[in-house]
Amino acid sequence: MAHRNEEEGSIGTSMHGVTAKEHVFSFSDQGEDAWSSHSVQSDDPTAMFAFPVDSEHKAKMYPNISLHHLVPIIRDNLDLTKTDIGNAGVASVSGAIFSRLAMGAVCDLLGARYGTAFLLMLSAPAVFSMSFVADAGGYLSVRFMIGFCLATFVSCSYWTSVMFTGKIIGLVNGCAGGWGDMGGGVTQLLMPMVFHIIKVAGATPFTAWRIAFFIPGFLQVIMGILVLTLGQDLPDGNLSTLQKKGDVSKDKLTKVFWYALRNYRTYVLFILYGFSMGIEMTINNVISEYFFDSFEQGFQLELHTAGMIAASFGMANFFARPIGGFASDVSARFFGMRGRLWTLWILQTSGGLFCVWLGRATSLPIAILAMMLFSFGVQAACGAIFGIVPFVSPRSLGIISGLTGAGGNFGSGLTQLAFFSSSRFHTADGLSLMGITAMIFTLLVAFIHFPQWGSMFLGPTSDSRTSKEEHYYVAEWTEEEKLQGLHEGSLKFAENSRSERGKKAAPDGTSTPLENENPANV
Amino acid sequence: MAVQTFLFASLIIFSSSIESNHGATEVSLFTNLENSLEVTATRVGVVLEAGKDMVRITWMLKSSAKVDDDAAFKTVEVKLCYAPISQVDRPWRKTHNELSRDRSCPHKIVSKPYDNIPQSLNWTIDRETPTGTYFVRVYGIGVNGQEVAYGQSSDAEKTTNLFSVEGISGGHTSLDIASICFSVFSFGSLLVFLVKEKRKAKLQQRK
Repeated sequence: MAHRNEEEGSIGTSMHGVTAKEHVFSFSDQGEDAWSSHSVQSDDPTAMFAFPVDSEHKAKMYPNISLHHLVPIIRDNLDLTKTDIGNAGVASVSGAIFSRLAMGAVCDLLGARYGTAFLLMLSAPAVFSMSFVADAGGYLSVRFMIGFCLATFVSCSYWTSVMFTGKIIGLVNGCAGGWGDMGGGVTQLLMPMVFHIIKVAGATPFTAWRIAFFIPGFLQVIMGILVLTLGQDLPDGNLSTLQKKGDVSKDKLTKVFWYALRNYRTYVLFILYGFSMGIEMTINNVISEYFFDSFEQGFQLELHTAGMIAASFGMANFFARPIGGFASDVSARFFGMRGRLWTLWILQTSGGLFCVWLGRATSLPIAILAMMLFSFGVQAACGAIFGIVPFVSPRSLGIISGLTGAGGNFGSGLTQLAFFSSSRFHTADGLSLMGITAMIFTLLVAFIHFPQWGSMFLGPTSDSRTSKEEHYYVAEWTEEEKLQGLHEGSLKFAENSRSERGKKAAPDGTSTPLENENPANV
Repeated sequence: MAVQTFLFASLIIFSSSIESNHGATEVSLFTNLENSLEVTATRVGVVLEAGKDMVRITWMLKSSAKVDDDAAFKTVEVKLCYAPISQVDRPWRKTHNELSRDRSCPHKIVSKPYDNIPQSLNWTIDRETPTGTYFVRVYGIGVNGQEVAYGQSSDAEKTTNLFSVEGISGGHTSLDIASICFSVFSFGSLLVFLVKEKRKAKLQQRK
């Protein structure tokens, strides 16, 4: 137990109700005696675990965001038009739609460690190949390929979801995801500095930006190596080892996919994330240009000032997303899943509202204020969504995380294409329209309903059988699979998820009769 | 939250110190300028390479101008301007009547004190000039630093006498080699790890 207390304690979250029987992982089937081996072998790796995963995220965002600040230099070097830049922006997020889906499957089957490392080290060459780019076509292709590495988001959120318990999952996912996205903000500050240093060292601007691109490439390779050497898939060890020992069951891709696609909540989350993370990604792409080029708005800024403002948008992730996740966890304590859903709706709608305000801003201080509030709302909403995702299906957690993540990219591609790729709208009008669209789609939160916990407006079902968490989670396994005992992980998860009933949850330590025989709680 | 508030506050302070052109007493408009300068720009060859080729620029007071039209000139600024074809679908190069907001002439060639005689310059195209189609414009700057007159090497619609510049690519062979090396390293280290892990797993199984 020692190692898990360490993790939870280090995040600084409440640990009420932590009993000896509380399980963290979805698949593992450890008996009582395995706990002792935990504290011996897993202590160090899992304690160090938190860092590779979090800083890992930062490395992931670097290559993607590195470009935004340097776009004014790049557009002159490659003779790009606004359409070229817009299309490249769409391409950069579309590549990730497929890679995020694939990553979900890879995590479910191979484990998060391999998934992350493979992706990082195989996409590093794409970052290095920026030095070859000579025209709009090359620019678009390289951005498309670099976009693939955004799938590390899925593997990292899967990783945290299997390592940490449901009560703090909102905060944990918020930190991992938020600090990763913050990497985007850090890049906006760092890359201009790197670029400037290289220029001072004697390179022309058109060469300097190519050299600057080696930095994110290096970081990717280094992070890949760290993940392989320091990380482990599950609290008990690596996936392949556990599968060989028989502790974790090997699942079939088709089954995992099927149960994810069969669940309508997957699609709702796909769309919702498209209008929180999606619009956040779009803003990352357009905001520096918006501030730099805003001579139509009446305020002109120097390149470095515009970069600073855009950077603060990304940096807000350091607090905003974890706060969103934390708010989700706190509301779950009192109101259960319903609290999580309301928190999500409130945060995402206010994000959309401030986006509209940003579009309507006519002076610089108002624009900055609107942007900060918008960034907080939207990023906190991202954190809140991943407080809900782990509860949809532990069996298909990877695929669902992947699909939700892909939804973010899809939303970003769609909004960029619709509002920012042509000369039909001024950027400011595009922002307002995007905010209104986001608010409309956020109403879909009301449709997420769990039979055991209810939804925003409806309570849980009164049927005594279907209102148990076990019924919902075990429904994903067929009779033959249950006979083989493959569903044990889901049963354990169901038991722990009782906290999502809010204040009505049975006091921890006592149990309601389970469908299968399990060692009785002591 | 503290960091966010601090960032926000510092941005507010910063923004209030940014010059706003709304406070200017007189706004310089392009349409107010006298077209009293005659400018020519001649080149050898069709497409010019940045950093290598040359353009010969001359400017003088138009013969049709009034006698003391140039009394107001103190300095002349020679600028390289984008032709309309290089502005298409590129709103960051938009022409604006208000000269302080105009983005169509961003590249300064030279700034010289005004001499009441025809002047010329052999200008080697700056290495950092991006690819595009250009013409040359000369502004006559008055005592207060604002433009009072202009002349350009093209006509009013900016369609004649344009020249194309081919910018440098910025790529170098050494960069290409470096990126290939690092890519190979990335693939290679992944393979090495996989092989090592497989061996470790085999050893453990045998035990």
